[in-house]
Amino acid sequence: MDIIDIKGLKKNYALGSTTVHALRGVDLTIAKGDFMSIIGPSGSGKTTLLNVIGCIDNATEGSVKVSGREITKLNDREITSMRLHHIGFIFQTFNLIPVLDTLENVEFPLLLMRKLSKQDIRKRAEKLIEEVGLREYIKHRPAELSGGQRQRVAIARALVTNPDIVLADEPTANLDSVTGEQILNLMKEMNRIENTTFIFSTHDANVLKYARSVVKIRDGLIVKEA
Amino acid sequence: MNLIIKIAWRNIMRHRGKSLVIGVILFVGALLMTVGNGVISGMDQGMQENIINGFTGDIVLVPEKQESDEVFIDMMGKTIEQINDFKKIDSVLKTIPELRAWVPIGKNGAMVLNEEGGSPGFTYLIGVDFKRYRKVFPNTMKAVEGKLLSPGEAGVLVPTGARKQMFEVSNIWFVPEGCEADTSQMFPEAKAMWQNLLAKDNIVFMGMGADNTSTDIRAGVKGIVKYNALNQLWGNFALVDIESYRTCQGYISAQDRATLVLSDDEKQLLDGDETDLDNLFSIDAGETVVNSEHHNDLDQPGEDAIVSGKEQNQTDLDVGTYNLVLVRLENHSNLDAKVSIVNKHLKAAGTGVRAVTWKKAIGTIGSMAVLIRMALIMFVGFLFFVAIIIIVNTLSMAALERTSEIGMMRAVGARKGFISTMFFGETALLSFFFGGLGIIAGYLIVKMLAICKFTSENDMVQLLYGGDLFHPFLSGWDIIISIILLSIVTLIAVIYPMLVARSITPLDAIARE
Ligand SMILES: Nc1ncnc2c1ncn2[C@@H]1O[C@H](COP(=O)(O)OP(=O)(O)O)[C@@H](O)[C@H]1O
Ligand SMILES: [Mg+2]
Repeated sequence: MDIIDIKGLKKNYALGSTTVHALRGVDLTIAKGDFMSIIGPSGSGKTTLLNVIGCIDNATEGSVKVSGREITKLNDREITSMRLHHIGFIFQTFNLIPVLDTLENVEFPLLLMRKLSKQDIRKRAEKLIEEVGLREYIKHRPAELSGGQRQRVAIARALVTNPDIVLADEPTANLDSVTGEQILNLMKEMNRIENTTFIFSTHDANVLKYARSVVKIRDGLIVKEA
Repeated sequence: MNLIIKIAWRNIMRHRGKSLVIGVILFVGALLMTVGNGVISGMDQGMQENIINGFTGDIVLVPEKQESDEVFIDMMGKTIEQINDFKKIDSVLKTIPELRAWVPIGKNGAMVLNEEGGSPGFTYLIGVDFKRYRKVFPNTMKAVEGKLLSPGEAGVLVPTGARKQMFEVSNIWFVPEGCEADTSQMFPEAKAMWQNLLAKDNIVFMGMGADNTSTDIRAGVKGIVKYNALNQLWGNFALVDIESYRTCQGYISAQDRATLVLSDDEKQLLDGDETDLDNLFSIDAGETVVNSEHHNDLDQPGEDAIVSGKEQNQTDLDVGTYNLVLVRLENHSNLDAKVSIVNKHLKAAGTGVRAVTWKKAIGTIGSMAVLIRMALIMFVGFLFFVAIIIIVNTLSMAALERTSEIGMMRAVGARKGFISTMFFGETALLSFFFGGLGIIAGYLIVKMLAICKFTSENDMVQLLYGGDLFHPFLSGWDIIISIILLSIVTLIAVIYPMLVARSITPLDAIARE
């Protein structure tokens, strides 16, 4: 079953008097449990695509279905709820709430959801922190963690709500290659353990070996699906 | 909620500099507001106490014919009508509970004639049976020169303020009989021209109470007095014995009545029907023996003034004319209700007077505290206005600086409401802590000021103190109002930054990367 179904997606940005066509008509389906990489040069539209899928940016034209729900016609409240319940994010840099420690950052989305009890939230968060290998850093604040460790916290935080998809926009761009590989390995491991769909973008062909499927994007169009 | 408070608190600690700026502003604002309130409450209460206990009593009985209730300091210069049947009023008052004491007084303006040909002065005269007056208003004044009036003694007590005023108008420096002019009591201008100063120990008054029927009287100055509290206000009222006052104003005096009432028939009339009595004593100018002189002639004033100061015999003073009755209550509470009760009795008995509250009688001065309070409110309002601008500015900048953080929270699933609440929580915590501290500090300062029991003889300072003792205090209401005001300020200050924070989208956060 496809967790994501995109048809004729166009995204224009007004830039002064000109219009930037960031996405020019993207058709794409992504299967549940996939570990997909979107690769393309800088400015090709990777971030835009992920933002639209992640309900962070709205489409200009076309249809985007996430978990069978058309997201292009939701209001702010619904779209926020969509992000909370169905999507996990891992950003390039700014991922964590500075004033909260590792545990609290991971608990954060669950506290927003208000579904589980305090103990269950604690248990779930601790489990994921354990899985990303940060047990000793549970009380550390983001400023006391390295870049790689922060991304691990972000991964745990993205997964803690059991989302349908986790979106990661160039998650390794700001990391050295060794740490970057560790993060991708972890993501892949989590994809296996939690069976969560992962979509990550990159402009680095070296990381393609981790992907189960790869989508190439150029000038706002998908050029190759594999 | 827990989460929001936690984040808010840690953000406060994280951005200590900004928090401190906002905190200090709120602290200072709350502190000034609280102390100001305490000082004004103290002033207000002190003023009330001192006016009531020292001068007006709680209730003032005013002749019904009198248009205005403002009988003490009337801007229009209206004379006060006469009360000719105090005995009846007295008997009515005796039947009303909760009245502690009362004293009838004469009160009207008088010209201070200048025998040297200079410009005449003006003063308000209070005519009293001094012994009785002192019983109702004990310890309100002291003689700074000379002495107070002894029982039955005729003469005038000149307050320092009135002396100064009369000096300024007519260059006469009044001293009590048998006293040398005391230069230590003089203000600088008088001292400077001491050599040329004309010192006098008696004053010629020409009453302005009744139309065309006043008589000059020469009253011996017995003492120069100073009111213990609010001398600045009462200092313009000279106290004179009631019989001299009546003569001066052209009223019927007790002496007149005594000499006129001769036969038993007439005595009966006195106790009996009022209209007959009025007919009998309908006093017209020129008809009675003493009150006949009408002076238009200011060139030679005082020439034929009746010399006051002769021994007043034991006549019943209450058969003569008064202007007002000052009534003191057992306690000050429920004044309006008590006034209406007194009014009911007075009306039923047909006494021809009405009761008004001291506040109405004193007029604008009674509301001075209100004016000063308004000035404080404006000052605090301005202070808070500035505070709000600074806080709004600081918080809005803080919101924008935290765009990435806030946008990321929104991306993860936090609603706008969460961001608003978080932002509000931060400011509310700051306000609660620093503002609360300001109120507490203000409260302590007010308490400490009260403990210090500052007293002042200075007239202007006394106005601020509301009397001779500085006694600031805060009521529960004052504190509640401070808290409410602080909350309102916080709310206003946080609205705009909150809107700024709310409008931050996840995309704004990403655009920063
Ligand atoms: N907010 C924006 N306003 C205007 N143009 C934008 C905006 N965001 C992206 N673009 C443009 O859209 C195109 C795609 O950008 P993006 O999706 O960020 O590419 P990538 O992530 O692959 O580098 C680029 O040409 C970029 O300049
Ligand atoms: Mg990008």
